[in-house]
Amino acid sequence: MKYLAKLYIFIFISILLAIAYLFIQTSQTQTLLNTNVEKILINEAKTFAHNIDKNLQKHLKKDPYQELKENKILRKQLENALELLRSDTFKYIFVLYRDNHGNYRFLLDGSKEKAAFNQRLNVDKKLWNRVYETQQPLIVNQKKLDGLWISYLVPFVIDKKTKAVIAIDFSKELPQNIYNAIAPLNNIFWYIFIAISVLIFILVYQTLLSIKNKKESITDPLTQTYNRNYMRELLKKINIDNYQIMMCDIDYFKYINDNYGHKAGDEVLVKTAQIISTEIRSDDILIRFGGEEFLLFIKRDNTTKNLAYHIAQRIRKKIESSTFLYEDKEIKITLSIGITCQPEHFKSISEAIKHADKMLYIAKREGRNKVVSTKSHHIKTSQTNTKKSINEVKAALEEKRIICFFQAIYNVKDKNIVKYEALVRLKELDGTITPPAAFLESIMYTNIYNDLTKIVLESVFEHIKEYKVIISTNLNFSDILDNTIYQLILTELRTHKDLAPWLVIELLEYEILEETSEIVQERLSEIKAFGVQIAIDDFGSGYSNYTIFKTLPIDILKLDGSLIKDLDHSKTSRTIVDSIVLLAKEMQIKTVAEFVHSKEVLYEVEKLKIDEAQGFYLAKPSADILT
Amino acid sequence: MAKYGVSILKKFLLLLLLGSSLLFSSDLKTEEKIYKLIIHTLLPQKEVIKAWSDTTHNKEVLNTIPNVILVNSPQKADFLLLNNNKVSNPKALIFVTNFKLLGKTQNSALGGFFWQKGRPNILFLRKNLQKHNITLPQSMQEFIEDDL
Repeated sequence: MKYLAKLYIFIFISILLAIAYLFIQTSQTQTLLNTNVEKILINEAKTFAHNIDKNLQKHLKKDPYQELKENKILRKQLENALELLRSDTFKYIFVLYRDNHGNYRFLLDGSKEKAAFNQRLNVDKKLWNRVYETQQPLIVNQKKLDGLWISYLVPFVIDKKTKAVIAIDFSKELPQNIYNAIAPLNNIFWYIFIAISVLIFILVYQTLLSIKNKKESITDPLTQTYNRNYMRELLKKINIDNYQIMMCDIDYFKYINDNYGHKAGDEVLVKTAQIISTEIRSDDILIRFGGEEFLLFIKRDNTTKNLAYHIAQRIRKKIESSTFLYEDKEIKITLSIGITCQPEHFKSISEAIKHADKMLYIAKREGRNKVVSTKSHHIKTSQTNTKKSINEVKAALEEKRIICFFQAIYNVKDKNIVKYEALVRLKELDGTITPPAAFLESIMYTNIYNDLTKIVLESVFEHIKEYKVIISTNLNFSDILDNTIYQLILTELRTHKDLAPWLVIELLEYEILEETSEIVQERLSEIKAFGVQIAIDDFGSGYSNYTIFKTLPIDILKLDGSLIKDLDHSKTSRTIVDSIVLLAKEMQIKTVAEFVHSKEVLYEVEKLKIDEAQGFYLAKPSADILT
Repeated sequence: MAKYGVSILKKFLLLLLLGSSLLFSSDLKTEEKIYKLIIHTLLPQKEVIKAWSDTTHNKEVLNTIPNVILVNSPQKADFLLLNNNKVSNPKALIFVTNFKLLGKTQNSALGGFFWQKGRPNILFLRKNLQKHNITLPQSMQEFIEDDL
């Protein structure tokens, strides 16, 4: 856009320069033409003057005035001779003498309308006297006289004394004709100049108007901060590597609206936006995200790693210490702020914003008037849950310390291994193994999660290829809906087409929204077309509902561990499991019991006619396939 | 902003029109200036000068001169500006715009103004100026002729 504007200016200037150049060239051509014509005509006039002089010299010997006064026939004869030289260009040809009073009077007149002999003519005496005295010809440009262009004055000298002046007047007609011929061309340039000026003016006006409209469309009318329209444009062009994301929300804002009215709420919003604006730098971007929420993109610098956190704390403290006045009422407010420190680790900016919102939610949950960033949250959680940070998982991936463990699944009837479940693990640098609960949550919605899914699928296929066994792997429903992961699954299946029938995909978190169920059905059918079996994991707990039998192409139902683990002493669990198994058998869906941790539980599983079982009693997860 | 923009646009167009009208406007004619000078020199005492002329062009020129009103008869005039024919009115000052007519009226006309060879020519006749007791200012003395 910036370059386009420069290009337009360059084109405009070029056009103007080109027109100016042509205009100057045309004017110069006109001057040159006039000069050349003038030269030619003056040369011609010189010849005429020379001939007139020669003729006069022949007839006038001493005193031209006396001689011509006395000899009317000679006067007539000489005037006829002068008249022969007259043309449209040489308008007047005449001879004047200077009387005793210094006035100039006619001796001879070659014009059509003749002046009387000795009639006085008002001329520029200064110039005519110069010719008289210097006895040199003179070219006079007649700028003040209408109809005359040039006068060529030549002294008539007898016996070294000037007796008269021969005058040849050039008509203005010729230069006027040249000017008239070129004038339309000059006018065209003027019209072009005016047209371009008007065009430029309209363009500038339109540009200003468009800038104003654009500004209005991206500005929140209440707080004068950017709005969501601007955010949409920003997300297209922003390099998120250069920013940290901050999500701010005014605590108990509803309380302000309810108690002081919406006008007070608006006032609080305006002042909050003003305070935030003063606490951030010109490079930072403040957007009213909606309602009482503000989104900030904080420009990173090389000196402070957790810059957004420091700025957030500054804003939070400033808001906390400020008193908002509305109609003599003092209103105190606080801000909760969530921060995404490393948005570049997320699949998209939207996911990074979602994460900041998640951090904001944590800040609210932990009592409000707080700043929670990815880092601070991880430090806190690592102290209690020993959860891994994004960077730790990223490092493990790069160092190939993300591995798969395999747990055997047995046929309940004959106690033979029928398949294995692949379980992802993080191998610590000291060799200890960390379960997925400690690291999956941190990388959810990030690109690292995609990389991890790819590694697990590749590992599963490698083991299928090597051991020729059926292996099941866990995926979330959200993975199927995620275009990137879904494409990744399809790519892996296409690469290992012959091994696909040995794969079972276990789906977790199967709360399907109505609007996405069609996509899930479609995508699972496409996956199944490779021969892959679909299992529903942890059925009987959480989001379980029976509509999934209607909508999804299910092959296997894995009964939730919470139902299985107390089968030996809970009648309720036995009744629930019994009914699920009955339903599954009716629908020709295989059943698998998880969490079989004792001989007694296995006995009950067998009694309930569950097809397959897995659990610590039968086999613990191991880095190797146990055959 | 839009209102402001429209007002700028209006101003711009007005300037454009004004500029173009100035570009094509013409100067006052030389004749007007000359006649004004002659009439006020010849009749300096008169507050209102009644003038008459025998050509439409000269009438138009006289009409532009301050303190001059046109009358419909040469007999009512204080100043006659003649181009075609001799008109008799002993009370009026006569000025001609044709050299030939000046020759015919040399006993009554104060002088004449006419274009000769593209140049403006003024001349006053001494005897007629004296007859009317008119003394020309120094700047016009050089145009006085004793006779034609």
